[in-house]
Amino acid sequence: MWQVVIALIPAAGASLFFFRTHALWLLVLCVGGAAAAEAVIVKIRGRKLTLRDGSAVLTGILLALVLPPFTTWYAALLGAAVAILIGKHLFGGLGANIFNPALIGRAFLLSAYPAMLTTFAVPGNLDAVTKATPLYLLKSQGIETPLLPLFTGTIGGCIGETSAVCLLIGGVYLLARKIVDWRIPLSFLGTVILMSTIFWILRPQSGSPAFHLLSGGMLLGILFMATDPVTTPSTKTGRYLFGTFCGIVIMILRYFSGLPEGVMYGILFMNAFVPLINRYTKPRRFGTGKMSTA
Amino acid sequence: MIHVPEYKEPQHSRQSESYLTPKKLYLPLIQHTGKPSRLCVSEGSTVEEGSVLAERDGLISAALHAPKNGKIDRITSFPHPLCGRAQTICMTCAPSARSYSLRYNALAQSGEELIERLQHSGIVGMGGASFPTHVKAAPPKPITTLILNGCECEPFLSADYRLMWERAEEILKGTEVLCRLLKPRKVILAVESHTQPVCEHIRSVAANGSIRLPDFELRILPSRYPQGGEKQLIRALTGREVPPKNLPLDVGCMVQNVATCVAVYEAVYLSKPLIERLVCFCGDAVKEPKNVWVKIGTTLQELVEEKVIELEDSLRKIVCGGPMMGTALDGLHYPILKGTGGFLFLSESFLRDEESPCIRCGRCVDACPMNLAPLEYVKRITRGEYGTLSDYYIEDCIECGACTYVCPARIPLVHYIRLGKQRLRAQTPLKK
Repeated sequence: MWQVVIALIPAAGASLFFFRTHALWLLVLCVGGAAAAEAVIVKIRGRKLTLRDGSAVLTGILLALVLPPFTTWYAALLGAAVAILIGKHLFGGLGANIFNPALIGRAFLLSAYPAMLTTFAVPGNLDAVTKATPLYLLKSQGIETPLLPLFTGTIGGCIGETSAVCLLIGGVYLLARKIVDWRIPLSFLGTVILMSTIFWILRPQSGSPAFHLLSGGMLLGILFMATDPVTTPSTKTGRYLFGTFCGIVIMILRYFSGLPEGVMYGILFMNAFVPLINRYTKPRRFGTGKMSTA
Repeated sequence: MIHVPEYKEPQHSRQSESYLTPKKLYLPLIQHTGKPSRLCVSEGSTVEEGSVLAERDGLISAALHAPKNGKIDRITSFPHPLCGRAQTICMTCAPSARSYSLRYNALAQSGEELIERLQHSGIVGMGGASFPTHVKAAPPKPITTLILNGCECEPFLSADYRLMWERAEEILKGTEVLCRLLKPRKVILAVESHTQPVCEHIRSVAANGSIRLPDFELRILPSRYPQGGEKQLIRALTGREVPPKNLPLDVGCMVQNVATCVAVYEAVYLSKPLIERLVCFCGDAVKEPKNVWVKIGTTLQELVEEKVIELEDSLRKIVCGGPMMGTALDGLHYPILKGTGGFLFLSESFLRDEESPCIRCGRCVDACPMNLAPLEYVKRITRGEYGTLSDYYIEDCIECGACTYVCPARIPLVHYIRLGKQRLRAQTPLKK
């Protein structure tokens, strides 16, 4: 878990650079809130203090990174508490949760404070309030943001999702250190590229593959949310399936739903299928199937 | 399959020693798979080296012989390294020096005579499972490939490697006897890449002409764990997988450990029963890791007292067997059995940290050589849902310990699996 926290340092750094004190407060509140909620709940459940495993801190950081800069202090704390209490411990704590806790926290806030969660700021001009993320601009006005701002992060959005380059640095670290399995990111990425290419050819105004990859929470989702071992399949085949279907669901949401973005719901939706996927992708039993000789 | 550090030096390259004059011996009646041997001596009786102490009881059982001249003190329950306590013959040894010399022309004997000799010598598989060799040597189906297992994929252990250096001729002559019984078309000696140095030696012994083996091949496999597992070895060498609940002979293969071949040679040529073996004493808490020829029944206690092995103060854990599959012991009061290949003496640095919750990372699934999903067992066993364990083929588990080794949450998976298998058996009535 601490390794994933390390991998998030570039993205968290970018959020501080672009959103200054807004980002700092969100990170402090979410991490503090998550850690406090964890400490309280393990005390109530009569378990040993589990803060050292880094899981609550990680959830706090991930939650902060998927919140917009103007999220209020009480919303951030509430989101962190929901993530830990409902997202994780209601299911039995670390390892037993079905859904990604940080995304549960965000989903809760999005339905509790829809306006707050869809109001963004543009880096560099933090007083100006805007609804315009690149995906919003594309969906409502057909404007496709150029790739360079998408890559570096000088765009509107949640504090941790704007800078593609920093997310990629962290992602490469996770993959190189073999902390996460490459199968989910690969199949996820591949599906998104494939689907967006097809749609782009059919209808150029639906956005280029590079745009879809770099905009919104796509990279954060692919590299950090869909690679959480607890809420993703434990079999190799299952991981390919999970990544592929995450990509499909998210692109369907982006193209055909009323929402501009679909990463959060796409991953949460697929989390629910993980037990089923595990069940039907059991590795071939030794001595059966094509290798069998009896 | 996984990679594990080997820790084979220095015991790997050190000439083996002997300690064949024990003071006391403790011989459990159960040292093999199957029914315990039936006693045929009583307390107070005097026995000679090589005489039968307990005879084979039924087909799947093995005889037990006196490793030395001596007197039976007691026949009582005594600590057993693998099954808690067991009925054990305790004897005090007298100085004796029986020598063994070539007595039989093995190849002039008939198959029945050879099987009988194996039966009378109490030979069991010496790689760990200790299945009686006389049963295995008379298979109900034809064997096309006889595989000699020299892989010794467990870290630390090096007794088989030393045997291949020091007893290569005996190994191959024992194999020749097995070939007479099994009539395989092909004999493969499988070793791992860390045993490279010995290969040339074996090739030259095999080529000297006095030993006739059908289509003998030496195969060097990559050092992976558990390469020496019977089913993994057969797959690596022949590409065949032994189906669930089947035996190697169902795919025309038989695997014999190299140490068993030496025992077969001694039984058939020298008329020497299985009363001694090469045992590896290793680990970072033993002063000079080495292999020692010892009498079956010698206790660790005596080996330490006689300074055959010297232990460091850093000793924190004693393991019977290798680090991956061995059993932890609670002291030195345990005897060496026919199937004991080694003991590990480990310091704190090899102890395992405390278990933490499973984060479902699936590394155990990737590591499992039997293609199982070990993580699925743990939650079911902790919840007591034993009935669903066979949905995930728990009975296929060979308990190699690869999953336990790779688990980042330090969960003792094999421990859970053994418990689960036990409970499942307790729930399922035996088929008649």
